[in-house]
Amino acid sequence: MQVSDSQILDGVRAGDRKSFAKLLSICEDDSVRANHLISNLEKRTAHVVGITGSPGVGKSSIINAILDKSIDKKIGVIAIDPSSPFTGGSLLGDRIRMQSHATSKNFFIRSFASRGALGGLSPSIFETCDAFETFKVDAVFIETVGVGQSDVEIVNVADTVVVLISPDGGDEVQMMKAGLMEIADFFVINKADNPISKGLLSKLRNILEMWKKDVPIFLTNSITGEGIENLIKALDKRFSSILESGMLAQKRQKRVTSHAQSILRKKIDDILQNVKTDQLDLEEIQKEVMKEICGNL
Amino acid sequence: MIKVLIAKPGLDGHDRGAKIIARALRDAGMEVIYTGIRQTPDQIVQTAIDEDVDAIGISILSGAHMKLIPRILELLKENNSNVPIFVGGIISEEDADKMKKMGIIEIYGPGTPTSVVIEGIKGYFEHASV
Ligand SMILES: Nc1nc2c(ncn2[C@@H]2O[C@H](COP(=O)(O)OP(=O)(O)OP(=O)(O)O)[C@@H](O)[C@H]2O)c(=O)[nH]1
Ligand SMILES: [Mg+2]
Repeated sequence: MQVSDSQILDGVRAGDRKSFAKLLSICEDDSVRANHLISNLEKRTAHVVGITGSPGVGKSSIINAILDKSIDKKIGVIAIDPSSPFTGGSLLGDRIRMQSHATSKNFFIRSFASRGALGGLSPSIFETCDAFETFKVDAVFIETVGVGQSDVEIVNVADTVVVLISPDGGDEVQMMKAGLMEIADFFVINKADNPISKGLLSKLRNILEMWKKDVPIFLTNSITGEGIENLIKALDKRFSSILESGMLAQKRQKRVTSHAQSILRKKIDDILQNVKTDQLDLEEIQKEVMKEICGNL
Repeated sequence: MIKVLIAKPGLDGHDRGAKIIARALRDAGMEVIYTGIRQTPDQIVQTAIDEDVDAIGISILSGAHMKLIPRILELLKENNSNVPIFVGGIISEEDADKMKKMGIIEIYGPGTPTSVVIEGIKGYFEHASV
């Protein structure tokens, strides 16, 4: 069904869910139109929180637990699952854990397939975040694909990155030494009901000390909700403090650069797909692409 | 890209069939949202709207289909949505006829090969000018 720009703009301005759902689809399918629509809407800065960590660590469950205790806030959820590189198909299952909130008026949960994007996000993530800000939410939670070390792109999108680890994760500590260590604003040891989590806590403390990093650690049980209120309080506090200190503005400025980078990469990919490269060498291919780009300016 | 919601209403807790079809549709290149068991009509319809899906697949075993399906259709109408619905489950021919008259696109009985369902959904989108 075709919906006109003005229908969507009017709908989103009136807070209509169906129009907003269409705007999110446009973000996925036509980023040029999406960015145009978004630029015509008023935005309100929301706290964009990335939730990342290995498969099964409890990312969806912790977002559900946060929603349970945030009924007075307006919250958007972006849940990303991988697309098959072979068929393009995807099974979007994160919602199962949050389905009790499917009919909550204050929450808007949306599933996205990664559609070939690297780094654990979706190709339309920047547009999608901006869109949620036009829907006037207080916070956006992004659940990354969750393949561990490669989920580092979230740092270019989120204002706050929460890295989840859990006692049944096996080589968690090994993994933390890699990329995720760099990007965590908060660490959460989830599944704290598991007695091994105490040992994990001291291991994590040691590593942080070794790296001379001062990152807060939270213990949570996403099934019972234990520790969740503390986490929510700390997130709110961090949001006010980065807002005040100017750090948020800085991050958002950087995000514009990352957004531009993502648009340009997509363009170059498109050009490369159309350039006949069979007869060309490395230099010539680059020249062809540059010619196309300059022609497009 | 076809985006489908696979929903499992009713009180029974068996979702083997729903999971098999969800995986088959994924393997056929679709984006499939699976929401788990015991979904109410309100949850199904709100999820379909928020996720802006192209189609809904409903798996029913409990026998309550003549109550659930009309309610889902009613809620969709209230939301000005005409998203197509496919139903799978143990449904008599008589009820299947009634459901088709209500606007259900297709009804698949037990043991239908997944390839038939995939063709049914893909075929619908090839023919409909959406
Ligand atoms: N005991 C216990 N189980 C938990 C806790 N949090 C999550 N689980 C369980 O862990 C399993 C995985 O949880 P999910 O929330 O789906 O994990 P996820 O990180 O979103 O998983 P993917 O999206 O598949 O990467 C589920 O069976 C949850 O019920 C917890 O704090 N304690
Ligand atoms: Mg999940």
